[in-house]
Amino acid sequence: MKLTHVFNLAIICILALASVEAYSSNNAVKANIETTKPKIIALAPHIVEMLFDIGAGEQIIATTEYADYPLAAQKIPRIGSSMRIQLERVIELQPDVIIAWESGSPSDDLARLKQLGFKIVYSQPDSFAEVAQELRLFGKLSGHSEQAERVANKFLIDLAEIKKQYGQKKPLTGFYEVWSRPLTTIAQDSWPQQFLEICSIKNPFETAKTSYPQVNIEQVLQHSIDIIIQPLSKKQQGGDEYNWKQWSILPAVKHQQYIILDADIVHRMTTRSLVALNDLCQQAEKSRAYYHQNSSTH
Amino acid sequence: MNANLGNILRSVSAIKSKNSWVFSGLIIFTFLSIIMSITFGPANITGDDILQCVMYECMSPIHDMVIWQIRIPRVLVGLVAGMGLACAGAILQNVTRNPLADPYLFGIISGAGLGATIATFAFNDQQSLALPLAAFLGALFSVVIVFGIATLLRNMNHLLLTGVAVSFMLGSISHFILYLGDPFATNRVIFWLMGSLARVEMFHFYLIGAIVLITLLTIFALHRQIDALLLGDESAASLGVNIDKLRLILLALCAAVTATIVAYCGGIGFVGLMIPHIVRQLVGVTTMPLIIGSALVGGCFLVWVDVAARSAFSNVEIPIGIITSAIGSIFFLAIMYRTRKTG
Repeated sequence: MKLTHVFNLAIICILALASVEAYSSNNAVKANIETTKPKIIALAPHIVEMLFDIGAGEQIIATTEYADYPLAAQKIPRIGSSMRIQLERVIELQPDVIIAWESGSPSDDLARLKQLGFKIVYSQPDSFAEVAQELRLFGKLSGHSEQAERVANKFLIDLAEIKKQYGQKKPLTGFYEVWSRPLTTIAQDSWPQQFLEICSIKNPFETAKTSYPQVNIEQVLQHSIDIIIQPLSKKQQGGDEYNWKQWSILPAVKHQQYIILDADIVHRMTTRSLVALNDLCQQAEKSRAYYHQNSSTH
Repeated sequence: MNANLGNILRSVSAIKSKNSWVFSGLIIFTFLSIIMSITFGPANITGDDILQCVMYECMSPIHDMVIWQIRIPRVLVGLVAGMGLACAGAILQNVTRNPLADPYLFGIISGAGLGATIATFAFNDQQSLALPLAAFLGALFSVVIVFGIATLLRNMNHLLLTGVAVSFMLGSISHFILYLGDPFATNRVIFWLMGSLARVEMFHFYLIGAIVLITLLTIFALHRQIDALLLGDESAASLGVNIDKLRLILLALCAAVTATIVAYCGGIGFVGLMIPHIVRQLVGVTTMPLIIGSALVGGCFLVWVDVAARSAFSNVEIPIGIITSAIGSIFFLAIMYRTRKTG
């Protein structure tokens, strides 16, 4: 009997020791993951912004010019621009992963870095849905999957809300002015086109052959433009926008229906783009109300 | 009569003695340039680290990678590319007897640009391989068209004018493709055309070096005939030189050297135009000293320009073509002003 007790006691002790060992080793693994979060080089402003969104901002050891949001991003060392990367600095910093912008980062430098053995992951969010996908991808890469999942889900919920609110509104015809000299607009496959679709704004140049076609004012005058959308960067000085005043034949000019957007937000593929989307939809809605009121008074 | 001959011989020997000093100085400067330029770069590596790496074994794998895979290939490719462009310019200026002749006047840069544009759009996934190959083929294509038209016109004096016309034609095709395409691809092509040594490897040094060496050896073998061309076509023909054949060989060599350099380094302007003019002031117009001098000065020039490109700013690199054109044009104007004053 005693022998059985001793035997049971021994087994309990062994199991307890094993579980303590397993617990501590499990903790050690967790601690190891925590302490060895991968060092990241982010080669575009939108990548930096998304990494900060998911809580991986501190893991960014270098970036390129124009990564200015959030404020903490401005302190990250710069190792080049969209034109050229300083390969020596990358080698010196020894990142665990380099996240590059597929169409915007210098492809020859990336090919060289890949050849030198660095891990390169590409980012190319061309739609809102892809922003959410990339948030999740960056979460996996940086060890912040849970937070990334939360941010991506919230982003998609907010997007669905805006779509629901403005997607079925009466269409307005809008001209999106990317640049004034030469006068350039957007078409299908361009990033801002989805903004117009969600806000029920018809783009007369949607089917143009290039994503950002240059257009002649004569072509614009062929359409009854209800609103003119002018995204302007904070760095752009006043007067950069096209001078529409002389074309009062256009309803938008006649009724002063201009929508000014923050180009630094609307043209950057991040979660902040929903702020710009909401802003555009709200301003378009005001124009709709204006035209509705105007037509009912006549 | 004997006194005159004595004077001429004394002048020739004085020139030779002066040239030997110039060449000794240039050779020493070239070696110093190669060694010293390796110590410049954005990575924090000291002279001692480099010495340790080159003489024994690197202190760290990071130093090993930076020095052997980035800096040394850049310096060596800069050297041979500068040599090649300067020699091509010198040959063209002597062969066409036109001081404005430049390797890029064959439309090579526009042809390479067209090739790069097509590769950027058509082979998006294989840029590192497709782009230099397409640029090389584009450059050769432009040279073939220029030669073809000049031969059809039966007037090699029209070569440069044909080059300008073809250059505009190919440029307009590139611009049209870029206009229709993705704006990011447009940026990529434009930046590529500004020139850079950032993407080079040792393989490029071997390739460009081999073509430059073949060009130099050919010129050394033909230097007397090329000198005869300086006297005029009729005088050269009366000395038994087959002018058309000689011109074709030399122009083809210049085209091959320039097209290879442009394919891997992008557009590096002004070297081929400026360096031979500087060297002529130092060693005279005859082919042998002019070519050797141009090779050494051109090589050193590009090595130091690349040092400026990678070290001038702490966090960005400047395209090399911008610096060569900026320095080159100012220096060139200064030389012309000095020549006008003394002349």
